[in-house]
Amino acid sequence: MKKILSILLAVAMLLSMFALVACDKGNQGNQGNEGNEGNNGTDGKPAGMASYDVPAVGYDGSAVTVVFYHSMGAKLQAVLNTYIPEFNKLYPNITIEHSSMGDYDGVRDQIKTQLTAGAQPNIAYCYPDHVALYNVTKKVIPLNNFIDSTIEVTDAEGNKTVLGLTEEQKADFIEGYYKEGAAFDTVGTMYTLPMSKSTEALYYNKTFFEKNGLSVPTTWDEMEAVCARIKEIDPACVPLGYDSEANWFITMCEQYGSPYTSLDKNDHFQFNNETNRGFVKKFNEWFRKGYVTTEEIYGSYTSGLFTATEGQRCYMVIGSTGGASYQTPPTVDGQPLFETGMATPPQVNPAAPKVISQGPSLCLFDSDNPQEVVASWLFMKFLTTNVSFQAEFSMASGYAPVIKSVQENPTYQAWLDKASGYNNLTALSVKLALSQSDAYFVSPAFNGSSKARDEVGILMQTALVKTGDVDSAIEKLFKDAVGKCNFSIK
Amino acid sequence: MTHQALLSEKNLQKVSTKQRIVKIIVQVMLYTFLCVMALIVVFPFYWMIISSLKSTVEYRLPVPTLFPQKIMWGNYVEAFSAANLGRLFINTVIVGVVSTLLSLVITVLSAFAFARLEFKGKNALFGALLATMMIPGELFTITNYITVNNFGWLDTYTVLIVPFLVSIFYIYLLRQNFMQIPNELYLAAKVDGTGDFKYLCKVMIPLSLPTLISITILKMMGAWNSYVWPRLVTKSEEMRLITNGLRDAFTDMSGQANIPVQMAAVAVVSFPLFLVFIFLRKYIMKGVSRSGIKG
Amino acid sequence: MVESKHKWKAWLYLAPAIVLLLIFTVWPIINTVRIAFLDGYNMLGAVGGETYEFGIKNFTDVLDEYSGFKEALINTLLLTVVTVPLSTILALLIAVCLNSIRPLQRFLQTIFFLPYVTNSIAIGMVFEAMFNIIGLSPDAASAESWGIINNIIGLFGMDPVNWINVNSGYWPNFWVMVIYIVWNALPFKILILLGGLQSINKQYYDAAKVDSTPRARVFTKITVPLLSPMLAYVVITGFIGGFKEYSSIVGIFGDDMKAVGTDHSLNTMVGYIYDALGSNEGRASAAALILFAIIFVVTMINLYVSKKKTHF
Repeated sequence: MKKILSILLAVAMLLSMFALVACDKGNQGNQGNEGNEGNNGTDGKPAGMASYDVPAVGYDGSAVTVVFYHSMGAKLQAVLNTYIPEFNKLYPNITIEHSSMGDYDGVRDQIKTQLTAGAQPNIAYCYPDHVALYNVTKKVIPLNNFIDSTIEVTDAEGNKTVLGLTEEQKADFIEGYYKEGAAFDTVGTMYTLPMSKSTEALYYNKTFFEKNGLSVPTTWDEMEAVCARIKEIDPACVPLGYDSEANWFITMCEQYGSPYTSLDKNDHFQFNNETNRGFVKKFNEWFRKGYVTTEEIYGSYTSGLFTATEGQRCYMVIGSTGGASYQTPPTVDGQPLFETGMATPPQVNPAAPKVISQGPSLCLFDSDNPQEVVASWLFMKFLTTNVSFQAEFSMASGYAPVIKSVQENPTYQAWLDKASGYNNLTALSVKLALSQSDAYFVSPAFNGSSKARDEVGILMQTALVKTGDVDSAIEKLFKDAVGKCNFSIK
Repeated sequence: MTHQALLSEKNLQKVSTKQRIVKIIVQVMLYTFLCVMALIVVFPFYWMIISSLKSTVEYRLPVPTLFPQKIMWGNYVEAFSAANLGRLFINTVIVGVVSTLLSLVITVLSAFAFARLEFKGKNALFGALLATMMIPGELFTITNYITVNNFGWLDTYTVLIVPFLVSIFYIYLLRQNFMQIPNELYLAAKVDGTGDFKYLCKVMIPLSLPTLISITILKMMGAWNSYVWPRLVTKSEEMRLITNGLRDAFTDMSGQANIPVQMAAVAVVSFPLFLVFIFLRKYIMKGVSRSGIKG
Repeated sequence: MVESKHKWKAWLYLAPAIVLLLIFTVWPIINTVRIAFLDGYNMLGAVGGETYEFGIKNFTDVLDEYSGFKEALINTLLLTVVTVPLSTILALLIAVCLNSIRPLQRFLQTIFFLPYVTNSIAIGMVFEAMFNIIGLSPDAASAESWGIINNIIGLFGMDPVNWINVNSGYWPNFWVMVIYIVWNALPFKILILLGGLQSINKQYYDAAKVDSTPRARVFTKITVPLLSPMLAYVVITGFIGGFKEYSSIVGIFGDDMKAVGTDHSLNTMVGYIYDALGSNEGRASAAALILFAIIFVVTMINLYVSKKKTHF
């Protein structure tokens, strides 16, 4: 009996082996298609530049279900849930199933695994780095043909609209946000549309600044001078807190115009250069003079330092506009202790400011049913171009809307007008984010770009606290960071 | 140490004053040790509770407070109202109970085979099973996902229950427990003509009750707290489990976790488990001698 | 005749477990082995139609200057060797004490169970709060808050230690991890050993009582030997778990797996595997097989020792 069972086991093993061989053969069969970027069989995509063949009929009205992954909390989901019926008024046969994956990484991990089984969703929240990762499978839909499509679709209310974006709609997008969708190659393939955005801002203790006759720094040199002055006034303080070390490094590269990463497959990681080592060394000196700290170095959010009522504090924070409410001044008996001011972070060249663009975009995934893809596109277009949705979503999230016309919406204007450095930092931050909309930049996204971001963040925090032979320590840190990046994609 | 309670019952009259003092000192040391360890062990739980009652601003204070400045019961209200708790709860109970029962059956059968039955290759097979514990399970996730997808199991109770029914961890644990039971009992039963299965049910299982209860608790905990797999394999809201619903519901802004509310949610979710433990605990402590089975 | 019936039956008892294991454990392992020998295998890339050559590059990658494998291996070995004996001895003491007291027994038992229903985020936060120094000045001379542990140390007149913060040393980092891991491991081990203690037939103790055996002798001659299967279990699974340590370190030191400003990595083997999982499943699989080989050898030694020492 035992023998029979062991034979059965052996057979099971053998079968598995055959399955393996079959898999390998399948892969070899695909080899012939290599180089055809967009070609993975089902949809007859043309060879050459990545593109997607939009069905000639556009949306044919068939019943489809669109699965949408995001990381919205209950409050934002409530906003989304009120607008899905609006969308269904236009397209009653499209069912939207959306669910939260907790956070951005949750969305990424979920989709990554589902892509391996071909069970991915239709639309998802995304960061450029994630899209670069997904697109190794070539299942992210290039949007160009959708955006430019002139196919007419008729909605349930009888209105005829083009499937693509009209010129007005395209122009309505805040340019810096829109450009992010093409950060993936050099030929301008669009993979994402922006959904809602945040950026970095300089928060400062306005009351303290006014009392001491300080002016808000617009350049890094001015920042150094202001820090020195504040240190004289309050020697126990750390004048400036910078929340994200990685953002700091990447923004400095951009401001100096010195290389960070590139899309060049053989030379992705270009950040080990003279200029970059230079600014890192300068900030190391700042740290040693007690001018600056970061979230990691301080051991907690620097907003805690900014809003501290006793002991050590800071008077400026450079942090995300998405976390503005945490910079709300503390109150005693209902009276705020100071007013928080907001400004564009310091620049190398204030005439051409550069600030980082963050927050989710949307991308589409391929599906066996082209109608599902078209329906997803319609929903994506709805979310990104519907003025009242964008307005409400911005008010609920504290993130900036991605289209300009939202600012003309009366409800939204009224909300913005309530901005206050005492008790409505959220609106204030959105206002600032909108005002610096010309300054947004995005870094190239490729397989390995998220590793680069991690490594420069570690580099920055480590370099800041180095003492002794700082030059050689910094040199080694840069070399190691590039080495680790290259190893990760080796 | 274990026998002193027994000592105190019968030999009391013989115990001299000196021994008595020693006994008291030992007792004091015992309790001090246990209380100190208990304090250390319970601290995170305390932290979870106070965090669930803090405001987000207070939670982010650089120097954490040991007691909330202002108690935010609202966090619990929010935790209750945000997620579709009813459905999530029912799903979790179904998955938890079914998978615990099935898992117990499989574990008992396998552990019995390994502990008492003789067959060729037993040790090799057992070694091989142990070996499967040694590869980090994260590597299995993707392959298993593809497998269940091919089976067409996505979005069903089956996919939430079946893949994790077998745990070498528990089989091994129970096997060890079975081995504590004297072999003579088994041989005696054989001589009496008692079948294996009957012996397993009538002798082994009652004698191993404390360990079986421990396994039940552990398995329940596992089902209750599982997060990654259920999220991966369920698409529709109706099939979600409680941790998914709760963890995903409490993010403010676009994805920043609202930790105090999350903690409140976790505390709410933990409560039924805590009750289950309180209920089952007495069975663990009843032990063998008092459960009426004599060797 | 009875014997052969036996053998057939044994497989029947094992059948459900084996079937499920073949599908959900053995098959993924086979897949892992396959992937480990495909150079630079990337699962998403494979979906996208890329092919990978058979080779051992994934294994030789660990020798790369920037792989960080050596550090991960050393950290893992050190942590395991220290934490497993420590947590086992502590858990045994607590279980035996808990078993021998009468008043407050139920209450204390419940307390020792509470960590089970404590969310892991909370545990990470507590450690942060206990060891974290906030607002440490650049010269490390003054700080805003030294943290609870340093305050306690201060009561004994000792200088505060920079446990986990900027420019902290390897050994303070290491001991924080040890405390965290032991802490995490305790409740489970206590539960198992307590269950084991309860399964010991009370007749042995009755016999000892009649002979008025000293309690230390009862402990070493009755309790430990009779508990030895459970102790062996706790130790062996402890080693296996110890080698797979990862989340506890993320809990304290974050995804970077190192203290700020320091050059020593606190990464572990599973951390190394995680790093590679996103982009290079081939490398992750190879590292998993190396880890498997190490655990396998250690477990075999453990099993050998426990066979000799365990009293069934």
